[in-house]
Amino acid sequence: MAGGGAIILVYILGPILISLLFPILSWAIGRWYQDRLMDALLVNEKQQGNMLQSDQHLSTQSLMTTMTAESSTLLHVSICVGPSMGQIFFMWCKSIFGGRLHSYDVVLDYGRREALLRLNQQAKDLGCSSMVNIRIETSTVSFAKNDKSNTSSVEFLAFATGIRQ
Amino acid sequence: MSNVETIPGKSVVSSLGLVTGSTVRAKHLGKDIFAGLKNLVGGELKAYTELLNESRNEALQRMMMQAHSMGANGIVNVRFATSNVAAGASELFCYGTAVIIE
Repeated sequence: MAGGGAIILVYILGPILISLLFPILSWAIGRWYQDRLMDALLVNEKQQGNMLQSDQHLSTQSLMTTMTAESSTLLHVSICVGPSMGQIFFMWCKSIFGGRLHSYDVVLDYGRREALLRLNQQAKDLGCSSMVNIRIETSTVSFAKNDKSNTSSVEFLAFATGIRQ
Repeated sequence: MSNVETIPGKSVVSSLGLVTGSTVRAKHLGKDIFAGLKNLVGGELKAYTELLNESRNEALQRMMMQAHSMGANGIVNVRFATSNVAAGASELFCYGTAVIIE
């Protein structure tokens, strides 16, 4: 009867494990992939990061006293990010209890910093030495054809006025 | 174009009023499926990023055309807005004030 018990156990636990396999796999791959993205971002930030925290990047509307402007241009950059399906599944589980959703934390933080980095890069490419009136907007983007789809992503739009001195 | 009240380095002579530009975009099925696959790992969805950048540039282009037809040579206080008008499509909208600068 021990063999019969094992077979019954396999029949009960098998489907449960298989149905959980996909979210777990997706969660693990997502975690690994996003950690790699984060590492790449940290390296980039080290290269450019000092520029981002200088008095050349302002979220105010007017130029600060030391600045003079030759010409200016509008800069805008947008980026779409989203957590993986497995992470969404586990966040749904977590939201029963509430509390901090770590996966979203990581993804949103990544998106925002990456958007700022790209804005900085765009400013460099266009020959701007400083930016004023930096704004970041967030919106959810869902191109899913039906509401049941899990595909969800967040769009970050960063825009600023670049100044050539 | 700038998103502050004036154009730095230039002086605004006169303002001509509001100009707007908008575009509604849906992406094609192939990209949809591909982005769905990308959603397995999360992170940046390049297909969406590209699509949104393209359409935002188009919206800006339309706004500039409108400003040009009014005889303006600059746009100040540019703002962007994004909204989901329907499932599977999103509207990218931008607006600003057309001005004449020198």
